[in-house]
Amino acid sequence: MVSWSGRRKALTILAFIGPTLLGILALNIYPIIYNVYISFTNRNQYHPNPDCTVFLTSVIEPGCWPMFRSNAGMGQPYVIQEPLFANYDSLIGKLFTGEGVLALVKLALLFAPLIIAGQVNKRLDRQLTRPVSSFWVWIGGLAITVLLAWILNVGGAMKTLEASSDFFIVVFRTLLFVVITVPLNYIFGLILALVLNGDYIKGRTFFRAIMIIPWAASTMFIIMSLIWQFFFREQGTINQILRAFGGEGLAWLANGNYALAAIILVNLWFSFPFCFNIILGALQSIPADQYEAADVDGATYWQQLVNITLPLLRPSVMPAIVLSAIGGGGFQMFGTVWAMTGGGPSQGAGVPGATELVMVYAYKQVFQYNAYAKAGAFAVIIFIFLFIATLYSMRISRITQGAYE
Amino acid sequence: MSRKPRPLVLVLQYIFLGLMTLFALYPIWFVILASGRVGSRLYTLNLLGMFIPTEWTFENYQVMLSGQPYPFLTWMRNSLFVAGFTTIACLLIATSAAFAFSRFRFYGREFGLILLLAIQAFPGVLSLVPVAQLLTAFKLYASHWGLILAYTIGNLVFTTWLMKGYFDTIPIEIEEAAMIDGCGPIQSFLLVGLPMAKPALAVTALLAFMGGWGEYVFASVLIPAPDVRRTLMVGMYSLANTQSIPWGYFAAGAVMTIIPVILIYTYFQKYLVGGLTLGGVKG
Repeated sequence: MVSWSGRRKALTILAFIGPTLLGILALNIYPIIYNVYISFTNRNQYHPNPDCTVFLTSVIEPGCWPMFRSNAGMGQPYVIQEPLFANYDSLIGKLFTGEGVLALVKLALLFAPLIIAGQVNKRLDRQLTRPVSSFWVWIGGLAITVLLAWILNVGGAMKTLEASSDFFIVVFRTLLFVVITVPLNYIFGLILALVLNGDYIKGRTFFRAIMIIPWAASTMFIIMSLIWQFFFREQGTINQILRAFGGEGLAWLANGNYALAAIILVNLWFSFPFCFNIILGALQSIPADQYEAADVDGATYWQQLVNITLPLLRPSVMPAIVLSAIGGGGFQMFGTVWAMTGGGPSQGAGVPGATELVMVYAYKQVFQYNAYAKAGAFAVIIFIFLFIATLYSMRISRITQGAYE
Repeated sequence: MSRKPRPLVLVLQYIFLGLMTLFALYPIWFVILASGRVGSRLYTLNLLGMFIPTEWTFENYQVMLSGQPYPFLTWMRNSLFVAGFTTIACLLIATSAAFAFSRFRFYGREFGLILLLAIQAFPGVLSLVPVAQLLTAFKLYASHWGLILAYTIGNLVFTTWLMKGYFDTIPIEIEEAAMIDGCGPIQSFLLVGLPMAKPALAVTALLAFMGGWGEYVFASVLIPAPDVRRTLMVGMYSLANTQSIPWGYFAAGAVMTIIPVILIYTYFQKYLVGGLTLGGVKG
């Protein structure tokens, strides 16, 4: 740009980004620091109040700042935990004792065949003619995984882990949810986009317009989730249809597995239009001559799909997939679960409910049990995890390309 | 891939399309049906009533609009107020920041951009307590302005990245020409950069508005009762969590909340898809 002097430049830039910076500092950075600090204290329903004589507390608590000094409420002030990492300890529980580690190792071993299958595929890809197709390599990897799960008694290992730590169950369940829901959304989006991309389909514009409706409704997820919840009630639509055909209704949301499946289905409803639109946009940017050349070479539809369409979709769709996985429709899913089941059905006192995903668990810890310190420790661990995932996703998608140009 | 497939495949494709259309439309259709039904039940005993309107009344709408016993219109006004000011604040703040990040080269620029993304990894639900305490200290707790502040800053990261992505696609030469003609950086932003970013501004405004309109968690915590101060989502949620749920009223309220949004989205469809793929999402 045109050169201007240093000081004036600094002031102009500050004027442009100053408000953003200030806002981010106050309402994003400050809560993070606050949570880190609180996670080392014993703040809970019995010790809810700040003790302003402690230096760190007086710095971090707005109620202690001189201009806002408010009367401290009743109840005990919270103090820093002794030992320091007590909250983290209680959260992780017996995960890192001998039994827990053994179970974790067993679980980790399950991924070995899949990783090996991926590597084998990469190596085979470098050869001119593949002896086996990648599909069969993956099937083989999966078969070995299942065999391994049976040999190692992974079911037993899971039970050990579930008994040893809340944290593990919640995170594991959330990861399971993400692994099912995100691919499902994108597979439906992909099929729909492939079908609607063909110009032989009549009424394409109509169908495309229809598919935006759940997307629009997803901005008001609370209301739509409540409607969906009604479908799954004991006196709800689904059971009514079942009864009309002589079937017997079920209390869908009272069963943990069905409840999770219901949430995945509702999340599909909310998310597939977005996936569809992203993929359709990417499909339309693939040049047609690629397919013409493949047609000349006599490639079938499936060969074209696997060798042209999918690889060319990857760069533009992959970032969206990763962002969905770590965003509000994946790992940070809250609203739909909250409106549908509230984290239930309950699985006994003091144990997370069957659909209690990470964010629901954190919300309940804070707003139902007032376990601020525990939730703080939980937040810090989740933050570290999501932080790494975000950095990794940026590497994948090269979102930061612009930043490094 | 415009080769016409075999008839059987074509039929399968139409069946799939039909099923997906049903899947996409049915929940909305169901709410519309339920909103016109007498009584407090969402379901009717005859199965046909689940799919076609067998009876119709505007009573539920009348009750919801009359403000008794539920101040529906007040909720709606609150939501409009919060979402509207969130949109304005977001556009003002995020657009200028995005312009600076896109156009100026300064120390800490890359760091700032990455920081923006990375701190977004901190889950919003968990920052509620400190945010609420901070707002309490500034006497903004239980006030719509506090909620607007929280929403605006919650939306900043996304909107800044979206706008920056768009500014990056606008050739800088036009602004340089303007600067040679004597524009300062602020003038070139206001007179040249902004007018060219109109499509992205529209998408950003729409998304910021919808974010404020549909958000639930922050609104439920930062605006505790009374009823008349609540936003639409919190109000509707409280409606569905009473002892005997007035489903008819709920459905009527839901229709009045959702249909305008669907119309707006349909109208902006082209921009939405284009804007999202231009901005933060695309590599």
